[in-house]
Amino acid sequence: MKILEFTRRAVLAAGLAGLALASPAMAQTPPGVLIVGQIAEPKALDPAAVTAVNDFRILMNVYDGLVRYSDGTLEVEPALATDWEISEDGTEYTFNLREGVKFHDGSDFNAEAVKFNFDRMLDESHPFHDTGPFPLAFFFSAVDSVEVVDPLTVKFTLSAPYAPFLSNLAYPTGLIVSPAAVESHGADFGRNPSGTGPFRFAEWRSNEAVVIEANPDYWDGAPSLEAVVFRPITDANTRTAEMLAGGIDMMVEVPPVALSEFEGEQYNVVEQAGPHVWFLILNTKEGPFTDVRVRQAANLAINKTSLVNDVLEGTAEVAAGPTPPAFAWAYNESLEPYPYNPERAKELIDEAGAEGAELTFYVTEGGSGMLDPIAMGTAIQADLEAVGFDVNIETYEWNTFLGQVNPGLEGKADMAEMAWMTNDPDTLPYLALRTDAWPEQGGFNSGYYSNEKVDDLLEQARVATDQDKRAELYQEMQTIVQEDAPWVFVANWKQNAVTSDRVENFSLQPSFFLLLKDVVKN
Amino acid sequence: MTGYILKRLLSAIPVLFGITVIVFLIMALIPGDPATAILGSYATPENVEKLNRDLGLDKPLVAQYFIWLGNMLQGDFGQSFALNRPVIDEVLERFNATLILAGTAFVLCSVFGILAGVVSAAKQYGLADKGITFAVLLGISIPSFFLGMMMILIFGVNLRWLPVSGMYAIYGGGDLPDLISHLIMPALALAVVATGVVARLSRSAMLEVLRQDFIRTARAKGVSERGVIWRHALKAAMVSIIPVLGIQAGFVLSGAVYIEMVFQWPGVGRMLVDAILKRDILLVQGGVVFVAACYVLFNILVDVAQSLLDPRIKT
Repeated sequence: MKILEFTRRAVLAAGLAGLALASPAMAQTPPGVLIVGQIAEPKALDPAAVTAVNDFRILMNVYDGLVRYSDGTLEVEPALATDWEISEDGTEYTFNLREGVKFHDGSDFNAEAVKFNFDRMLDESHPFHDTGPFPLAFFFSAVDSVEVVDPLTVKFTLSAPYAPFLSNLAYPTGLIVSPAAVESHGADFGRNPSGTGPFRFAEWRSNEAVVIEANPDYWDGAPSLEAVVFRPITDANTRTAEMLAGGIDMMVEVPPVALSEFEGEQYNVVEQAGPHVWFLILNTKEGPFTDVRVRQAANLAINKTSLVNDVLEGTAEVAAGPTPPAFAWAYNESLEPYPYNPERAKELIDEAGAEGAELTFYVTEGGSGMLDPIAMGTAIQADLEAVGFDVNIETYEWNTFLGQVNPGLEGKADMAEMAWMTNDPDTLPYLALRTDAWPEQGGFNSGYYSNEKVDDLLEQARVATDQDKRAELYQEMQTIVQEDAPWVFVANWKQNAVTSDRVENFSLQPSFFLLLKDVVKN
Repeated sequence: MTGYILKRLLSAIPVLFGITVIVFLIMALIPGDPATAILGSYATPENVEKLNRDLGLDKPLVAQYFIWLGNMLQGDFGQSFALNRPVIDEVLERFNATLILAGTAFVLCSVFGILAGVVSAAKQYGLADKGITFAVLLGISIPSFFLGMMMILIFGVNLRWLPVSGMYAIYGGGDLPDLISHLIMPALALAVVATGVVARLSRSAMLEVLRQDFIRTARAKGVSERGVIWRHALKAAMVSIIPVLGIQAGFVLSGAVYIEMVFQWPGVGRMLVDAILKRDILLVQGGVVFVAACYVLFNILVDVAQSLLDPRIKT
């Protein structure tokens, strides 16, 4: 019996010691300091070197670009450039720069700095080109040269007119870094960043936190917060638990199933539809989907309303066409989503003689912007089987999936899940719907859709510098593509975030960037 | 003894060499490449080719392997693509965190496992034995990640006694009590299964020893029951318990992968999972080689300890 008593005492003592130690760790987070639960550790804080939305969320608060998206839209407005002129032929952009702006390291922002930024990315002989690689430099591949006209004027010359140029400048890849900081830190600049933004970099504790603090001299007014701490919490359940336990003040990308946890008064759920579209690529080259009637039947057979409400718990809206409504100026308001009409779908399948066709359906396990791909895939399979198809799902891990889908579906599959998030209405259709964008030509048109009229409209829209003219072209393109149905248009994601009730004045942007300058924490 | 240790160390070299070949081949053969993972939506063949060139992945596989091996032999594990910092810095920092977690769990499972096993054996078929056997079976049957999540829900979210995740408080903290409060839940969740295994095997090892003649002799000459069990029997049973502890060390190290994901512990397991998903080849290779080397080294330590305890093992 002695032994037993001893162990019982030991266990009790150990338990009590644990509890006594635990209490000091649960202190409240201080006011003025916002703790954000991020989905991953950032790669670097060098805007030219990173590609992930996760990293952009930090960068947009540390840097400015020449232009930015105005609040709540995807339309560009002045930022570090106060105004600009575009030449008649659309190949010369001259920017007047804001006076008196300084980088966080004290050096001056001027035309030389702008030239340094773009030369570093684009010119392989630039002394600091080796601080890359710069995977998204092709956003500016149309830029032939950048010229310093005077200290506050800079001129970009393009090799050909390229309408998305301004909105690419508003993308994080176009953010302006301090040349002095690049020169002194070299390849380590990504861990010692310096920009002109509302917050300046303070500290990066690997795998724990990135801390940024207020820049009181910000040209657009000092931020209200003292500091922001970005914590990487890769597991969505743990992120939810941290939010519930009060360990973080704000959490992005709340899993749909966790939303109900945050219905109480002490939380605010924020939503914003963004430039995202979730669709199924249909193989128009071989198999049943060569017939437009069968493609339309697939669009009619899938119950998209049920997908967004039941599977995605209302975190997305039904998509009508290839362009997300977030591009308000280019979106065709008159498009109605394909209704859920299995009867009509069956009729079309009968007409086309495709009853009982066997379909191979590529599904991914996860991936950027893919939402809940397995659950969505099985729901889609059930809807398609209800109208008489025989659907076989093949599931792949995300990078493997891309390796299967991007080279084209020919000989492998009839349909595949896909999702895109872009910053300009040009990007997705140009890269994924043109005849010249078939996989063998280096594009993402993995279903081999081809329509001369669409090709023509997209080429015209890319070189037109007048926004109204571009809008007209895109709207016409959307009508044709919806009718041709090379994809099943499924959903537009509404990005969400949860904040505690101590956080005020926060909203999400359609760009999906996280802008924290005006946020208050009590 | 020195000769034995040296021999074991030398025999580890081909093992490690084999590991470098296997991990290199696996990373080369799995579909998907780092450039596609980095570029995401923008992975056109043209962009992928350019980025691969910038990352040095356009060379033939054999050349890539020997460049990697050659650099590693000189202590250069290369640069992580996804984190943009030297692999060795990342691995060492992360391994430190894993050691704290797995080390604590290992100590917990050894101490409580042996204790429970000894008590169980000493009171065979008694109430204590039945109670312990029941608890042990329960412990072995609960998946550690599930236990971890339940602990988070109860002690982190509902009771708010312990922090939910991470290794140190984000604000303030950073001292030992802070570390311990973050360590309690993951270390316990990680230790439970291993404790059960150690307890069961300690129990049977003890039972076997307790039936032997020298125990009867000890009892006959009047050694107290406590002395018989702790001094005579346990010492003899340790010879079969130590190899089990060696295996559990490996189990705890690999189990740390799920536990680190659940509790967001910044250890090497979570690092490897993230790195594999991002196809961060050099980080995966460097991390696996490093962990494998530690595991091989630990096994040698176990063998040496065993040979010290049991003179019958030839050195």
